[in-house]
Amino acid sequence: MSTDTSGDLTVDFDQHAPAYRAAYPGVADDLRARGPIVWSDHHGGYWVVTGRDVLGEIAKHPELFSNDRDPERGLKGVAVPAPEGAGRGGFLEMDPPEHMDYRRVLNPFLSPGAVARWEPLVRSVADACIDGVIASGRIDFVDDLANIVPAVLTMGLLGLPLRDWVVYCEPAHAMVYTRPNSPEFVHTFRLILRMVEAISTSVAEAGARARPGIIKALLDAREAGAPLDQDGIEGTLLLVIGGGFDTTTALTAHSLEWLSRHRDERDRLVRDPTLLDTATEELVRYFTPAQGGGRTVTRDCVVAGHSFRAGDRVWMAYGLANHDPEAFERHDQIVLDRFPNRHAGFGLGIHRCIGSNLARMSFKTMLGRILERMPDYRVETDGTERYADIGTINGYRHLPATFTPGPRVGPPFDEVLEQWQREAESERFWAAEA
Amino acid sequence: MHVRVDPDLCQGHTLCALAAPDVFMFDDEDGHAYVASESVPEGREDAVTRAAATCPEGAIVIG
Repeated sequence: MSTDTSGDLTVDFDQHAPAYRAAYPGVADDLRARGPIVWSDHHGGYWVVTGRDVLGEIAKHPELFSNDRDPERGLKGVAVPAPEGAGRGGFLEMDPPEHMDYRRVLNPFLSPGAVARWEPLVRSVADACIDGVIASGRIDFVDDLANIVPAVLTMGLLGLPLRDWVVYCEPAHAMVYTRPNSPEFVHTFRLILRMVEAISTSVAEAGARARPGIIKALLDAREAGAPLDQDGIEGTLLLVIGGGFDTTTALTAHSLEWLSRHRDERDRLVRDPTLLDTATEELVRYFTPAQGGGRTVTRDCVVAGHSFRAGDRVWMAYGLANHDPEAFERHDQIVLDRFPNRHAGFGLGIHRCIGSNLARMSFKTMLGRILERMPDYRVETDGTERYADIGTINGYRHLPATFTPGPRVGPPFDEVLEQWQREAESERFWAAEA
Repeated sequence: MHVRVDPDLCQGHTLCALAAPDVFMFDDEDGHAYVASESVPEGREDAVTRAAATCPEGAIVIG
């Protein structure tokens, strides 16, 4: 499994361990000092790529570094360690050209122009979430806002009933914060199975009812002859839900926590909203919600001066490469107007996060509503809880805060969802896309 | 100054438009970037240079 050249590069590294969570992002300095690629003996042995430029080179060679999960060909997918028994994770666990069959269908829903139409929904739902707590002066940014808004938005994109966000919310988050193969994973796995069942049911119903959205687009594409299969479609929906729910939640929570401790920076953002664009990229860089992704080497090769052997496992450490001191000056500081910013926070190469434009829009909108409606919020350290395992998603389970109470601004949450449900089923709404 | 986007390298990160939204446009279908014109407008050379420097894929070619 290991290679002959790995001996002198071996480090005691495990992105799922509590030590990694405690040391991130500072751990990047120690690892980078050993070179841009190190070897870990954990999880059956794998390369950890921490150098920003080496990461970019590897990302240009999907034919050598496979995302696919196919035990018969020794391909182990994007999770390190690979979970046993689970199906492929949609197009993220496919290689070209197969992965493009799916991305081609999803891309038009996720271009900068296409996501802009959802901004009013995100704003309304965020306001409704805030309305629910605004009189109390207390909020849990995760439970009361950042878990809900991206989930409702994802339902809308998929063409599922908006109120179904609650069906997927807990499993989608538990799926990424539970340490693989830990005792708690048994419970989480049951939740995931239930979620998969719900998705299968929804696909069947969507086929009959044809509500506009990604599910209908996938089924229509298959009908029109695109080589999409049931597992690929369901895996893709699971991927969109996992990616759509949890990453934006993580970015929002980390950013709000940091801005609570840096009031001068928060005031800067309030005074100068044009800073929000570069600030968003910088917060994605610094916290890197999706910390990395696995690859399997398809044949012996030398890339970026490094020898790989067929079957080697590789972890693309986006969260560490984003703290590569050779690529980012003052990498250990959040510089809200940092630019240029060649961060790898949405991944690199052909598997670039397909929802990156959506994530930016919903993050900026949520943050904007918070800064306007509870500008003096203060995060309470008591009750704040990060994910026990940040090796998949660098997120929070709870982030409570207090603020000066204010007035409600809109209708109740359920009414907002009903109103937007009608909107999302109207031809006018989707026609604005083109 | 001339600029183009290498379509084999661009992955649609959209960071170029933060530097020069008047120069870099995005395809409605795949969200990948293209230039409105290969001739960089006068006074926009710095913005285009910054766009090239921030592209995570190194897809912006200046010539």
